[in-house]
Amino acid sequence: MIDDKKNIRDEFDDEEAVSTKEMTLSFGPQHPSAHGVLHLLLGLQGEKVTWADPDIGYLHRGTEKIAENLLYHQFVPYTDRLDYMSSMSNNLGYVLAVEKVMDLEVPERAQYLRVLCAELSRLAGHLVCIGAWGVDLGAMTVLLYAFREREMIMDLFEMICGARMTLSYMRIGGVRWDANEEFLTKCKELMEYMPERIDEYERLITGNRVWIKRNKNVGIVSANDAIDLGLTGPNLRASGVPWDIRKDEPYLIYDKLDFEVPVGSVGDCFDRYLVRIAEMRQTIRIISQCLEKLPEGPVVVDMPEIVPPPKDEVYNNMEELIHHFKYVSHGFKVSEGEAYHAIEAPKGELGFYIKSNGGEKPERLKIRSPTFVNLQSTHHLAKGEYMADVVAIISSLDPVFGECDK
Amino acid sequence: MKKDYIKVVERDTPGVVDIIKKTLFVDFIKGMSLTIRYNFTRTISMQYPDKEKWIPYQRFRGAHTLNRDEQGRELCVACELCVKVCPTDCITVVPMEDDTGRGIADRVAKVWRVDLARCFFCGYCEDACPTTAVRLGRDYELACIKLEDSVRNKEQLLKPQQIPENFKGGMVVKARYERNKSGPKVKGNLFEKSDSYWWPIPKKCDDKCDNNGDGNPDKDK
Ligand code: SF4
Ligand code: SF4
Repeated sequence: MIDDKKNIRDEFDDEEAVSTKEMTLSFGPQHPSAHGVLHLLLGLQGEKVTWADPDIGYLHRGTEKIAENLLYHQFVPYTDRLDYMSSMSNNLGYVLAVEKVMDLEVPERAQYLRVLCAELSRLAGHLVCIGAWGVDLGAMTVLLYAFREREMIMDLFEMICGARMTLSYMRIGGVRWDANEEFLTKCKELMEYMPERIDEYERLITGNRVWIKRNKNVGIVSANDAIDLGLTGPNLRASGVPWDIRKDEPYLIYDKLDFEVPVGSVGDCFDRYLVRIAEMRQTIRIISQCLEKLPEGPVVVDMPEIVPPPKDEVYNNMEELIHHFKYVSHGFKVSEGEAYHAIEAPKGELGFYIKSNGGEKPERLKIRSPTFVNLQSTHHLAKGEYMADVVAIISSLDPVFGECDK
Repeated sequence: MKKDYIKVVERDTPGVVDIIKKTLFVDFIKGMSLTIRYNFTRTISMQYPDKEKWIPYQRFRGAHTLNRDEQGRELCVACELCVKVCPTDCITVVPMEDDTGRGIADRVAKVWRVDLARCFFCGYCEDACPTTAVRLGRDYELACIKLEDSVRNKEQLLKPQQIPENFKGGMVVKARYERNKSGPKVKGNLFEKSDSYWWPIPKKCDDKCDNNGDGNPDKDK
């Protein structure tokens, strides 16, 4: 690692003859612009960054190991704590992976509700990203507006599943609660109201000269480099690579929905911002379509060993009571095999790899979290930029440390 | 395969119009006019804890509560299913025999303890309970000074919570901030609704809420 840095430094010295002594700066984990607990080591030549080295692990909780000691259904709340800005997507990634091992298909209404909720949480995640980015670059107003709309999404989550951030809404075999009328009307209301609000954010910052100066041509990553670095999600698409798992490897009902995939052309921070704004508009389209097409029917599969029957039946029926006890105390067996399932989470490709040995607990669970991979591009992006631009670069990558450190 | 769904985002290219706009500070004026217009709309901040309080929706998963049936008997039969299902192992139940009619069966919980500092509020215990004894209620002010205070025992849990189960939530009510020996408390009055609410007022209501504004300056005129 040290040798690496030295080489990079030499390279840099050749390019530009700077004669000040190199300084190492610790950025974070208590820096107000470091998202969460990011600790970034920066090598500085005057004002210019020569190398950047993210030091992760401050929030490590051993999530993957915990999964090996829990029943399949008990692990869902732990996934909420990965990317806590958009828990629905994490829930979805996990349950889809388990269902892939089990070869299970959930009812259509559940599929629609899952997509609807995952997209709502994408909206919430992007709102936080843009709001926090604004604050980091000194535009406080947009945070307040973005959080106002996010509050409504939190309200919607509270209506449908009773929690605001740690949702645990999905379950293996469906969703835990059906959507009620209030949720659907409010959701529709929000979708009508939201496009105007996005226009407002754009009016505030998109054309603003300070915002443009701080973001345009800062932290450029070319399409090839982005693929080599393993970037995913909006960060990859901003470099002009049209890769979206919802389109390229559609899961659930995404192939029945009509939406566009916004891509950038230059691959700088400004493109990453524009792609996120455009993606929010597409998300609104997806949610509106889901609301329109939402079919009637059950929201869980009809398999009592995976989804215990509703409470009223448990009291009156011995058979159901046994299923209930069995499910709660022993969980259910998952057939032997392994599977990897990736979804398009707000931050990028979120994948769960599960290896099952036929028991009630996974033998091994691996989480491919987008932030962890995206963050390794920091060096590539920050090298040669000014110290102050590192803040913009970090914000544009939208890291969340719950999922980076796992 | 042709990917016709791909849309390249538009970046503005600097041109003459752009330079003129910049010299006239159009970008600043656009942003500032928006913030100034918001000065004259309905406020959406909730005055918590001094004047108002949020009553969560019905499905809200807050602090635990133990239920009784209509005759005041404890519903918990100490089957320990909630202990078993809890992902964080934060519930302790110790069963005992008791046929004095304290519970619905002759088995009741001697100890029923939950450590809220470890709890996820996932609601799995509520789902697991075969007798609907444990429920996640709507108390959410759980901050405490000592860590031991976050452990709730049976006596505390059996006390009914302020918001009854069938009360329809999702509103801001008037509240009073009180400070006494046991610490600060925010007492909400469930039957006195307060005005501040961050959702826009739907367009449907025409004449009644005209002068209210809807938090949206574009339609205020
Ligand atoms: S609360 Fe319910 S699940 Fe827990 S021990 Fe009592 S009866 Fe059993
Ligand atoms: S809500 Fe979840 S974590 Fe908390 S006690 Fe119940 S089962 Fe355990």
